[in-house]
Amino acid sequence: MRMSYNIEGGDFSAAGRASSEVKRTLKQFNISPLVLRRIAVALYEAEMNVVAHARNGAMQVDIQPHYISVVIEDEGPGIEDIARAMEEGFSTATDEVRQMGFGAGMGLPNIKKNSDRMMLTSTPGVGTRLELTVNF
Amino acid sequence: MVKDRNYRHSIQIDRDKCIGCSHCMRVCSTQAIRIVEGFASISPERCVDCGECYRVCPQRAIYAKDDGLASVHDNACRIALVPSVFIGQFPSEYSATQVLKAVKAVGFDEVFEVEQAVDFMKEAYRAMEQKDHLRPLISSYCPAVVRLIQVQYPSLTHHIMLLKAPHDIAALYLRLAKEKEGLDSGKIFIYYVTPCAAKIVAARAPVGESVSPIDGTINMTEMYNRASRILWGEKNPGLHKTTANMSPDSVNWSLSGTEKHYFTGRSLAIDGMENVIEFLEKLESGHIADIDFLEMRACDQGCAGGILCPGNRFLTVERLEQRQKKLQRLKERDHDRVDNPLMAYSETLHSLSGVEPVYPRDGLLLDDDMEKALVKLQRIKKLLTYFPGFDCGACGAPSCRSLAEDIVKGRASISHCVFVQRVMEKNYKLSPDQAFIVIEKIWGKDRLNKYNDSNANDA
Ligand SMILES: Nc1ncnc2c1ncn2[C@@H]1O[C@H](COP(=O)(O)OP(=O)(O)OP(=O)(O)O)[C@@H](O)[C@H]1O
Ligand code: SF4
Ligand SMILES: [Mg+2]
Repeated sequence: MRMSYNIEGGDFSAAGRASSEVKRTLKQFNISPLVLRRIAVALYEAEMNVVAHARNGAMQVDIQPHYISVVIEDEGPGIEDIARAMEEGFSTATDEVRQMGFGAGMGLPNIKKNSDRMMLTSTPGVGTRLELTVNF
Repeated sequence: MVKDRNYRHSIQIDRDKCIGCSHCMRVCSTQAIRIVEGFASISPERCVDCGECYRVCPQRAIYAKDDGLASVHDNACRIALVPSVFIGQFPSEYSATQVLKAVKAVGFDEVFEVEQAVDFMKEAYRAMEQKDHLRPLISSYCPAVVRLIQVQYPSLTHHIMLLKAPHDIAALYLRLAKEKEGLDSGKIFIYYVTPCAAKIVAARAPVGESVSPIDGTINMTEMYNRASRILWGEKNPGLHKTTANMSPDSVNWSLSGTEKHYFTGRSLAIDGMENVIEFLEKLESGHIADIDFLEMRACDQGCAGGILCPGNRFLTVERLEQRQKKLQRLKERDHDRVDNPLMAYSETLHSLSGVEPVYPRDGLLLDDDMEKALVKLQRIKKLLTYFPGFDCGACGAPSCRSLAEDIVKGRASISHCVFVQRVMEKNYKLSPDQAFIVIEKIWGKDRLNKYNDSNANDA
């Protein structure tokens, strides 16, 4: 089962819509609430990264009987040093973004913690692609 | 996976009054209501007894099923448990003592104010704080909120505090105290005067408890009508308390914003269904962090806004604030002393105050089997492309999405959508007579007969 959602960069008012929709869909399945929570958190953080750091993007969701796999792709500045971006506390968030309550540098580490598989690739100046899988 | 499958709920539809107008269906937060054969119908697995439907019903066809005054036993020790909001229904010139006396005169041997158990709750909160626990803890006070979480936020159920509510603690205390006086426990009957439907079920079929210490529930409006007649008839000014029998702010515990002060750290008080939902949605996504305690009430202004409270919620809040001040003066006059007999039992009560973990409900599930559920979801997506997306409600479901869900669950058919119906008629897939029958199946027989062609001249 595939679903896809657009994510608008910089639009904090609508932020979290895509991950909310996915969460709502998953509640209709017999999956453990703890797994549901992990997916919700990972997707929310991934969506927020597009909103906070990129121009626009999309979330593509594939739900299978035993797992969910999600690709979040965006057009934006990309990430120069992925290893650093993955460090807890590392953030390049602007003051504006920080005022909105983001920029603790915990998003990517949280995504890693909450997913069973995660792959982050990026071309600086072009965009970023994050792929993650969570098993049910 | 452990699930809670006790779907008992208190909100009911009176078919003699219901005209199937769908007001209730549109306000239900959990999409639990459909219109079937001209009547509103509630899905028990989704109903959280918040009572939003009760508030909007223009026919007064929705009621909360309580045990009622008629259930009160003769020849037993009958105790009425009265929450402070009940006292707040009466103008401030009537003292709490007077109001409680009037309740007693309705037909009880004793009357006890629920909020006397709050001193114990405060102690229990302090003990709870010491323990290592998940943050935020969510108050278990409002049963509608607890059930909303069970139905709609399954991943948050383990945040709910595993503590009984004050009315349960008060009832436990009364049993202990009466037994100590030598009364046979089988002869003690405790009735709770309830401000809402949610508390009716919580008192009789509690989440996380196998038996309830409460024997019956009485609708607050019914009690108000009886007690006020007695009270208005009294000419002489009544008695007042001479000592504070509970700490002053306890009277506000059921409102919004008092409970949260008894948890150190970051605590929030949220009231009103919509606000609660908006917050839980964010909390579930990890959007909100570093909160220690959440006090939540389904009703605006907390229990002062309960559906069975006859008075105005804002007046009730103001009166309870006045009462807090009165109790404060008594307390100060008595060298800052509070004389609450319940606290003598606090140690025993602590050992009885816990509840079993709260588990999610299946209210939103499409199918137990993952593969079947996926097929159903696939169909829902397909169906949604056929529907207009107006959520017009003419199909008897609150939204196009709900109709699609009902169809894959075998509870409705695609011809229920009036837009699809027109197309089917045009393509001769459905005869006008068949379409007529479909509408009658949803909105009831003869619902379409109000207009006939001879009326056409008037239009
Ligand atoms: N989609 C993206 N496009 C460009 N840069 C990104 C993207 N996602 C992450 N980054 C970079 O990686 C850094 C770390 O990301 P991470 O999500 O861990 O923290 P954050 O977004 O800065 O703060 P937080 O997620 O705690 O609000 C970001 O500050 C940003 O420099
Ligand atoms: S806020 Fe109070 S009155 Fe309203 S549903 Fe909750 S417990 Fe009942
Ligand atoms: Mg981030």
